[in-house]
Amino acid sequence: MNEDAVRDDIAFIRRTMEQGRRVVGAWGPDVLVWGIAIAIGYFGTYARVRGYWTIDPDWLWLACILLPWAYTLRRLPARLFARQPDAPAERGLASPLAMQWFACGIFLTILGLATIFSGDRDPWWINPAVAGVMGIGFFASSFLSNVAWLRWVGIAWWVGEVALFALRQRPEAFLLAGALMLVLLAVPGFVLMRGRRECP
Amino acid sequence: MSDFDHSAIDELLQSRVRLAIVAFLASAGQADFSLLRDAIKTTDGNASVHLRKLEDAGYVAMEKRFANRKPQTTYALTERGRKALLDYVAHLEALLPPKKARNK
Repeated sequence: MNEDAVRDDIAFIRRTMEQGRRVVGAWGPDVLVWGIAIAIGYFGTYARVRGYWTIDPDWLWLACILLPWAYTLRRLPARLFARQPDAPAERGLASPLAMQWFACGIFLTILGLATIFSGDRDPWWINPAVAGVMGIGFFASSFLSNVAWLRWVGIAWWVGEVALFALRQRPEAFLLAGALMLVLLAVPGFVLMRGRRECP
Repeated sequence: MSDFDHSAIDELLQSRVRLAIVAFLASAGQADFSLLRDAIKTTDGNASVHLRKLEDAGYVAMEKRFANRKPQTTYALTERGRKALLDYVAHLEALLPPKKARNK
């Protein structure tokens, strides 16, 4: 095998893998579900703060955190019980992307549950912190998955972080956070889902 | 010493179609038959033959299921297949001259 043939083979593998990365839109449904669930949590909190309803938002948040986790981890038991060498690899070489979002999810869940169980009713810094983590998640995902527009979603999250900081201690912050979850999480999830079907 | 058979890698992954299948699945995680066939730009028959060879070698795993009452065949790379690809790429890179020599 001469040097040119070797380089050609490596370039071919790289091109094919880039094509495969576009299918990473497989995480679209999860992103969509999380975006809708967390938006409901924020809108519910806003409604409670404004006095439009009387249900304790802690229960709403518990549901809005635990139900999407149940959806995201739906395939985990099958993976745990399929550890033979011929069993499907968990995410192929795309696992850094999944693990990155898994880490973000763990961090945000701990933050959310800590707020619920500590009873701290004035966590003004949490909304900007959540938006900042989402920005990191999308920005890094765009490079891991080769989906360029995701980096703009990440940047939009950081702009949202600034806006949430500006609105701190005002009820409208919950409204804005809910809208960001819909526009910058649920909508990208939907687009990724659609793109997966159309790819390559 | 590793029990991995290097001659088997060469035989299986030296085919461009099989190499494309393995590389595509390595980054996509999993793909159904039609997506895979379109990605590697080949025919149904050709894709089936090569997928069967990879499946027999334990490089890919196949799963059949029904989606909206239509049969759907999904393929995923196995740990063995992933290792074979990584070893193959490492083998190719080892064939290239060191970077310093290339830059001269």
